[in-house]
Amino acid sequence: MLTKLTGGRLFDPANGRHGEVEDLWLHDDRVVADPGPGAIPDAVHDVTGKVVMAGAIDIHSHIAGGKVNLARLLMGEEHEQHRFAGHACGCDRIGGGSGIATPSTHTTGARYIEMGFTAAFEPAMLGSNARHAHLEMSDIPYIDTGGYLVLGNDDFLLDLIATNAGQAAVNDYVAWMLTATQSLAVKVVNPGGINAFKFNARTLDLDEAGPHYGVTPRSVLTVLARAVYELGLPHPLHVHGCNLGVPGNVATTLDTIQAASGLPMHMTHIQFHSYDTAGDRKFSSGAAALAEAINRTPTLSVDIGQVMFGQTVTASADTMAQRHTAPLAHPRKWLAMDIECDAGCGVVPFRYRDKSYVNALQWAIGLELFLLLDDPWRVFLTTDHPNGAPFTFYPELIRLLMDRDYRLAKLAEIHPDAPANTTLGSIAREYTLAEIAVMTRAAPARILGLADRGHLAPGASADVTVYSDLPDRRAMFERPDLVFKSGRLVVRDGALVAMARGCTHVVRPGFDDLIERRIARHFDERIGLPIKHFRIRDAEIRHGAGPQLHPCRRREVP
Amino acid sequence: MTFHPDTLCPFCGLGCGDIAIDRDESGIVPRPTGCPQADRLFRRSAVVPTDARMSGAAVSCDVAIAEAVRLLGASRAPLIAGLAADVDGVLAALSLAERIGATVDHERSDALFRNLTVLRRFGWSVTTLAELRNRCDLVLVAGPDPAAAFPRLWERWVAPEPAFVPGGARSVVFLGGQPLPETVQCLGSRIEESGLDGSAGQDLASIVGRLRTALAGRTAEDDPMTALAARLRAARYAVVIWAAGLFDGPQPDLIVEGLVRLVRSVDGTTRCAGLPLSGADNLIGANQACGWRTGFPLRTGFDGGAPLHDPERFAWQARLRDADVTLWVSAFRPEIPPFTTDGAVIMLAPPEMAVTPEPALFIPVGTPGIDHGGDVFRADSVVALHADGLIDRGLPSVADVIGRMLMALDQPTTVKEAAGC
Repeated sequence: MLTKLTGGRLFDPANGRHGEVEDLWLHDDRVVADPGPGAIPDAVHDVTGKVVMAGAIDIHSHIAGGKVNLARLLMGEEHEQHRFAGHACGCDRIGGGSGIATPSTHTTGARYIEMGFTAAFEPAMLGSNARHAHLEMSDIPYIDTGGYLVLGNDDFLLDLIATNAGQAAVNDYVAWMLTATQSLAVKVVNPGGINAFKFNARTLDLDEAGPHYGVTPRSVLTVLARAVYELGLPHPLHVHGCNLGVPGNVATTLDTIQAASGLPMHMTHIQFHSYDTAGDRKFSSGAAALAEAINRTPTLSVDIGQVMFGQTVTASADTMAQRHTAPLAHPRKWLAMDIECDAGCGVVPFRYRDKSYVNALQWAIGLELFLLLDDPWRVFLTTDHPNGAPFTFYPELIRLLMDRDYRLAKLAEIHPDAPANTTLGSIAREYTLAEIAVMTRAAPARILGLADRGHLAPGASADVTVYSDLPDRRAMFERPDLVFKSGRLVVRDGALVAMARGCTHVVRPGFDDLIERRIARHFDERIGLPIKHFRIRDAEIRHGAGPQLHPCRRREVP
Repeated sequence: MTFHPDTLCPFCGLGCGDIAIDRDESGIVPRPTGCPQADRLFRRSAVVPTDARMSGAAVSCDVAIAEAVRLLGASRAPLIAGLAADVDGVLAALSLAERIGATVDHERSDALFRNLTVLRRFGWSVTTLAELRNRCDLVLVAGPDPAAAFPRLWERWVAPEPAFVPGGARSVVFLGGQPLPETVQCLGSRIEESGLDGSAGQDLASIVGRLRTALAGRTAEDDPMTALAARLRAARYAVVIWAAGLFDGPQPDLIVEGLVRLVRSVDGTTRCAGLPLSGADNLIGANQACGWRTGFPLRTGFDGGAPLHDPERFAWQARLRDADVTLWVSAFRPEIPPFTTDGAVIMLAPPEMAVTPEPALFIPVGTPGIDHGGDVFRADSVVALHADGLIDRGLPSVADVIGRMLMALDQPTTVKEAAGC
């Protein structure tokens, strides 16, 4: 199948194109060079004047796995109110299901592709729950997926650190776990804190020795950041830091940047880690100081975790933080789990209100960060779905970033004391289409090591989104004219017209087999499961299709 | 003769991964495990009838599928129940349910819903089996001994010395129930009396209530619950275990709610977590898959194509009264609960199943973890496990059979609808 898109303006920053008019050719599932005058396309789409981008990529969205499925159970009222019938399309029924904040699998895929997203990554996959997460991910149609393996609270790793087993042993363990769980990256969540909570510690600061192991969050963080670097994983250590949501935590976040001491690090949902204690309410924005530190540290990348107003649910491995949030649950119910000497999960429904001082400020802080961070290659569009808001708020968020007048009008509606405690009102910046293309396409592909995604050069996956260039950027990004997934036209004028399936991305750094003996003993003695039942085989991924591998290049810390 | 060590057991929900199986030309036989379920259900003959049956007469699988599609396609109130299958089988059943507007439920979901009702209304604080094994210094068992449903619970998860308990000592206290003789043998002196084992006629709900009163500091000093409350508060990591499926008496969900509230009140100061166990025959996996596919737990139907959940109306026992066609899926064991229906029954079950009365259609299927590989969830709901196939007896999986039904159902409409895409 040869497809030609004629006359579109290509926003393809990875290849230096910022709105130039150029035809785009797709052959089967790939972008190809203009095949020359003799070629006869099977389909031609006239997209003159329209904006053409690669499919968007969400690097941090809780879409699959145990905590998400528990959140669906807990959010029964929402699901009752938002039920969707699937459309019949050939042999497929597409898009049916329920939910907004925790949509069911088919609905998740449908909502993403309808907005022109062709990939979304589950950022908190527990090793013990990885098989479940993969089963769910393979049931999400249309989009590519992958999971970031949560490490740093598992008793095995803490024991390695506490017994000075050495960096090489840690690296082997991390590599073994990534392989066994078919993961794409490593995430650390409240390093050591979830484990400490199991020993009844209710807080744990960056330099506080945790119970039992006597290991500090700082050392967990640095050991893991180094392992990820030395193994040569494309994605730097994905860090959900200490003290999430605690007023004054911006100091911890700044210390965490220092702790990386030059190693690459991705700090996630930094909005929740940017709080200062100025003002009568002892709660204010720390965004300016944090943005400055990030701007001058080129080894750092961040995503925001923007809060948007309305009902959602927070689902996190950070049981320690979630226990502090639980009294604010709306509706008033929540759940917590300790999990398999591995990590945990906490699910707390939440309603962000624009008339609440704290929530209003959270909203403003997220926008402040977006606008004060000057390099769109190092900042990513996220709401930490569903924790700050459902991912379906992205078009609204893009409008807030691209349209200053609209932003100021919204700022005027929130709690009257909030604007005084942020710099948001004084920021004139408006994101350009080119910057949006960087932030939602080129940069996510680059930071995850997905060489053939996020751009439109020949050889790239034919994941393409075509928008009308509307002044209302929300309307523009809510409803693309055309979306192609792997070369197949799946959305036309915002509606699903065909089914497609994505793939699962993984990395597989090598390891010294010796570590397997030690891990096997741990599984026999502690986990109560022979190691072979833990390991996920390629044939288990996407009903036998197997994963898509991305290369790792080992390197040494300079 | 071949030997399969470390075989995964998919039956009760504990997910034991250490079953030893011998296979020869006559079939498979497990080496004794001490678990009556594994010892019985892993014993299968190599030669079994693989023909489908229509009204008792042998027919080919193609004919059976065509007849199933005819029945299901014409049905006005179809029910897909039993639902005892691996995750792929359950997902196929959900696709079929969406396609024909059926409701789905698992044979054993009563036990699950006693817990889910509380989870959905209130939330909970729970833990998993490896945490129990390594962290727990005090086990409080609420109600009947869960070993009745989960035979190797104590041997595998409580008898081993806990890694994170100084000195390695732990106690197991039975509240409102008594340990089975096998449990006494396994746990020995770790078992302690609570003083309220339910034998004096107290019901579990009021015993749990009394313990909560004690935790609030409102019982007399010599009340046995006062001492137990102090034990819970002094424990480092207490785990309250219950198997709600074994509760008898009215309103078992109120017992569960009492237990969840009890856990919450202890967990405020020291660590305490619940461990609600339910889940034979991949009950948990069926509920998980239903949850991610529809957004709702089991007992969900499709109303005009959109999922609709009703925990009372869509329980299979209730739905059976109205169903004109029931697709009963039972891949794990050749057993079915007694049920009667005026509608037609299509049964997908192991060939060893003896059914009376003979259903309209019987299509033999393999058992996940014996005839083919399949994913099942453990009873603590977090861990999914892949059980490999052991023997090829020519039996298709539930997913295969339902997949063929789906293809046949779509055949006449494919051309028409594809044109619209």
